[in-house]
Amino acid sequence: MTFASASAPARFTFGKPENTKLTLWLFLGPCVVYLIAFSVYPLIHSLRLSFTDLTAASGTGNFVGLENYRALIFDPLFWNAARNSAVMVTLAVALQVVLGVALAMFFNLHLRGSWIVRGILLLPMLMTPIVVGVMWRALLNPDWGLVDWAIRLIGIEPPDWLGSVDMAIVTLVLVDSWQWTPFVFVIVFARLQALPLEVFEAANVDGAGPFTTFRRITLPMLMPAIVFAAVFRAVDAFRSFDLIYGLSYGGPARGTITLAFFAFQNGFQFQNYGYAAAVAYSMLLVLAMGTTVMLRYVQIRPGAR
Amino acid sequence: MRPGRFVAYLTLIALGLIGVAPFLYLAVLSTKKRIEITAQVPPTLNFNWAQIAKNYNEVLFGQGMLSFTVNSLIVVAVATAIAIVIGTPAAYAFSRLKFKRSDSLASTILSMRFMPPIAVAIPLFIMMKFVGLTDSYAGLVLPYVAFSLPLVVWILIGFFDEIPREIDEAAMIDGATHFRILWRVMLPIIRPGLLTAALFGALFIWNEFLVALYVIDSRGLQTISLGAATLVSAQRPIDWNIAAAVGVVTVIPILIFSLFVQRYIVRGLTAGAVK
Repeated sequence: MTFASASAPARFTFGKPENTKLTLWLFLGPCVVYLIAFSVYPLIHSLRLSFTDLTAASGTGNFVGLENYRALIFDPLFWNAARNSAVMVTLAVALQVVLGVALAMFFNLHLRGSWIVRGILLLPMLMTPIVVGVMWRALLNPDWGLVDWAIRLIGIEPPDWLGSVDMAIVTLVLVDSWQWTPFVFVIVFARLQALPLEVFEAANVDGAGPFTTFRRITLPMLMPAIVFAAVFRAVDAFRSFDLIYGLSYGGPARGTITLAFFAFQNGFQFQNYGYAAAVAYSMLLVLAMGTTVMLRYVQIRPGAR
Repeated sequence: MRPGRFVAYLTLIALGLIGVAPFLYLAVLSTKKRIEITAQVPPTLNFNWAQIAKNYNEVLFGQGMLSFTVNSLIVVAVATAIAIVIGTPAAYAFSRLKFKRSDSLASTILSMRFMPPIAVAIPLFIMMKFVGLTDSYAGLVLPYVAFSLPLVVWILIGFFDEIPREIDEAAMIDGATHFRILWRVMLPIIRPGLLTAALFGALFIWNEFLVALYVIDSRGLQTISLGAATLVSAQRPIDWNIAAAVGVVTVIPILIFSLFVQRYIVRGLTAGAVK
């Protein structure tokens, strides 16, 4: 800004203004162009695929309009997967939020040595989901698994974890919760540590018991963190298929085929690219609705703005 | 000790066990003969070194897990480096340069972190086939940069936002351009952020295997998660001692990784979280 005089407030002497636009393009451009090329374009391509009958064998595929979507609506396997997804996501999020908040309150006691256990609890969520699935398949093996052995030790017959249709989805939820409850815990705990102590002292002075304090003060103040963690968990549980790949491969009797796994099966195992794309887009529709709600209620921009 | 305290410590120990026992069980299984796994319940802790060597030799060299690990390290390192180089200036721009709809663009980029991989895997495969990059490192690196980029940008926005604006305003008064500020002023301060972003971006693609399933044909080019997936798929009966050793081999790099992330794990996991 050549005409900026020495007396102008310092904060307005922003170098050369004609360069800021160029700088913006140079800084943002590569990132935006890259994501358009390797995320947005594939997404659009996927939408186009969902209107074709492309399979791995068929070369280019023909345009079939909404045929894939029509087929989806009348496909009992799709609705089975949708039901499983709904059950899995609901149960997993509910369980993980309750346990995660409980863990946060528990670690808030700051017992000696609890930092070691906190460190241990971080490990599961860093693990490759397929390996988590395989590991739990071993632990829950009906003939020789450690968990079944331990349950029989106290005189109870363990459930048929991965052998019964109704139990398998619960098992999937439990394993997912073993891996991801710490995620809810970490976020809620961080928030809990940041809460002002005065509020709790005031509640104490006013004679509020521990349960009243938790219900009336702690919980409301933790709510933003809980909602955030729940939304992240819901989305990640919804789109995860690799844990299922390792744990149950969708079985028994399609009992653990979620939408994500159904899309994976159609796209990879059966090589039905068009149909898989239609399933993927039905998932994106659910995700888009979910994200819209999330952006309405949760502020996700970090830092002060 | 008061009984309440006692119960609390018992709970703490139980939690630690729930977290760590599955890993230890996996490790113990990986030292056994195939028949011992079904015969010894629970598995005993007398270790036979020859058997351990045999199992791990089979997994690392016979099944190729060692070369899968090397492949993963190469692909993940290159993809993460590119994502950091592209993502850092973008995150700076979101934090420091005012422009129209910057918030909605930032949200759009974050929302890509939530994309189901199946929604892009097939088109990415078709793209890579079109440019002749299937069955190559590059065929994985290109999509993986796009997978880790949203995470990298979001983690870095958080770190940039924490740097007081007075610092860059002071540099601007001295006539520094945004390039100079980013390169000379910000980068030295933001180093923990770069590490966090790189580590979590890397973890995100370390575990990826759907795109790899499509893009990689030859066994020699498989990544660690793809290799693990093909070795231990729930589709078919498996040798549990070998499967357990495969599990241990995939866990070890992550254990090493976790030593680095401890301090930043909350930042990495909560990128975009409410403060």
